[in-house]
Amino acid sequence: MVKERSAYIVICIALFLTAILALMLGTQFYSVSQLWQALMGNQPAVLSTVLTFRLPRIIAAMIAGGMLASAGAISQSVFRNRLADPTILGVTSAGELFMLIGGMVLPAFVLEKQLLALIGGLVAFALLANRQTLRHPYQLIIVGVALNLTFMALTQLFTKGINVSSSLGFNGITWSSVDSLLIMGFIGLVAVLLMAPWANDLKLPDEQLSAVGVPVTAMRLGLLALVVYLSADVTAAVGTIPFIGIIVPNIARYFVGHDYQTILPFSMLSGAWLLLTIDTIGRIVVLPSELSAATIMAVIGGPFLIMLVQRGGFHGIKTG
Amino acid sequence: MELKQVNYGYPGSKNLITDFTAEVPTGKILSIIGQNGAGKSTLLKLLMGSISPSSGTVEIAGQPIAALSNRKRAAKIALVSQQHQVYDEMTVKEVVKTGRLPFHSLLATIPDDEVQPFLKTVDLADASDQPLSSLSGGQQQRVWLAAALAQEPQYLFLDEPTTYLDIRYQHDLMALIQKLNAEQQLTVVMVLHDINQALKMSDQLWLIKAGQLIKAGSPAAILDEQLLSDAFELPIRIVTIENYGPYVIQLTA
Repeated sequence: MVKERSAYIVICIALFLTAILALMLGTQFYSVSQLWQALMGNQPAVLSTVLTFRLPRIIAAMIAGGMLASAGAISQSVFRNRLADPTILGVTSAGELFMLIGGMVLPAFVLEKQLLALIGGLVAFALLANRQTLRHPYQLIIVGVALNLTFMALTQLFTKGINVSSSLGFNGITWSSVDSLLIMGFIGLVAVLLMAPWANDLKLPDEQLSAVGVPVTAMRLGLLALVVYLSADVTAAVGTIPFIGIIVPNIARYFVGHDYQTILPFSMLSGAWLLLTIDTIGRIVVLPSELSAATIMAVIGGPFLIMLVQRGGFHGIKTG
Repeated sequence: MELKQVNYGYPGSKNLITDFTAEVPTGKILSIIGQNGAGKSTLLKLLMGSISPSSGTVEIAGQPIAALSNRKRAAKIALVSQQHQVYDEMTVKEVVKTGRLPFHSLLATIPDDEVQPFLKTVDLADASDQPLSSLSGGQQQRVWLAAALAQEPQYLFLDEPTTYLDIRYQHDLMALIQKLNAEQQLTVVMVLHDINQALKMSDQLWLIKAGQLIKAGSPAAILDEQLLSDAFELPIRIVTIENYGPYVIQLTA
């Protein structure tokens, strides 16, 4: 209990401080007093840079991080597999492929990207989730990885080898895309908190849940739909950012235990902090250019995943 | 609760349950005994309504069990299986809370104090916040029993509840079940491997063989060497042990 409360306090403070730091850092460094002066209306140029470029990017990174981390935690519950995550199971790359194809053949419409990414994600899940893969964790991951590579290759094929996701990312994100991410993200994250008890229920076998009158299939589909919604919205706004959905919930378990009603809110906060930190580092580390959050996450995430599997996190969940 | 001319089987293969008619005595302890593969667990599933008969009906209070919604059924019948699996770490209270699901809306958070009385019944009130995996096999079985009791059922079904327990835990669990039956007038239906345990515990027994009811009756009616030898296809003798009573032994070397 004490550990849990301290973990919440620490992550909230970390998130606040990182957000301040992210406002200060960039091509041009602003001190806290400069930011304060800007806020007071004394430095219009600084205020304009911060409001137009830095703030939307910070908000987008935080929301997207929270969404990706919750999507990961929920898919781990649904698949009863601690390595399940929309980005390594091909859900987000399917979203990117559908966005690309849809963008080529369909006329533009409202929420086009979000909708196309959503359909792509659903297609990936339809190909992925069946009795076999739900029962055998290795099979789920292998099929997921194969799907992911296939969708990525198809995307490259259509773009004739140009890496399309590099055109997305947080660089140059504007208030208009932050607005839609903010609204969609808010709805999604509220739904996550409401549906958290279901993620706990799925710790029991289906047979046991049916015996207590729970509509297991409806519950599982509801949660999967939420996972696709969350990851599709992020994919539509900033492209695929891998590994957040694996790293964050697994670390959250270490700090706050195994109850999804605490894992999920803690994952949201930690995911927001992690992605904001990664994006801020990416922004300043190779000035005047920058590294995308996706690239940095891939570099960190790979070794983390290996460590998780080797330390037995994979076998931590009994399957049968 | 009764079974009326129930048949159950997969199309094209031999019936697992054949022409089964019997009534579960209300407020009593009933044990189902028979060889492995005789259809004991299938019978339990039919009684629970988790599978439907190919023909015939299973009725609860004069109503076909199939007509009840899952939630209504869960508020009448609870099951404790022989072995439980969880896919993630759960605390004791989380497990027991799952028994309260039929009484809440699907998205509700179930308060802790709602499960305390059931944990008290199984003498685990202090273990509420412990992880399930830190408990012994016997304690874990009591947690699952508390979860079943949390459904506030009229019928408590137990599928080989003592299989993985040592004799001390077996005794404790059986004593607890007898107490619940006596104090709460809970109807208990058990599938048991151990004939002697079944004879000692039960008000009534169903002896089944190859999906058919051979004999339904009191322990005295089942204590018949010929009957038991036929049902288990083994030479069986009944001996009398001082201060205990009749005891079934099998005579193969």
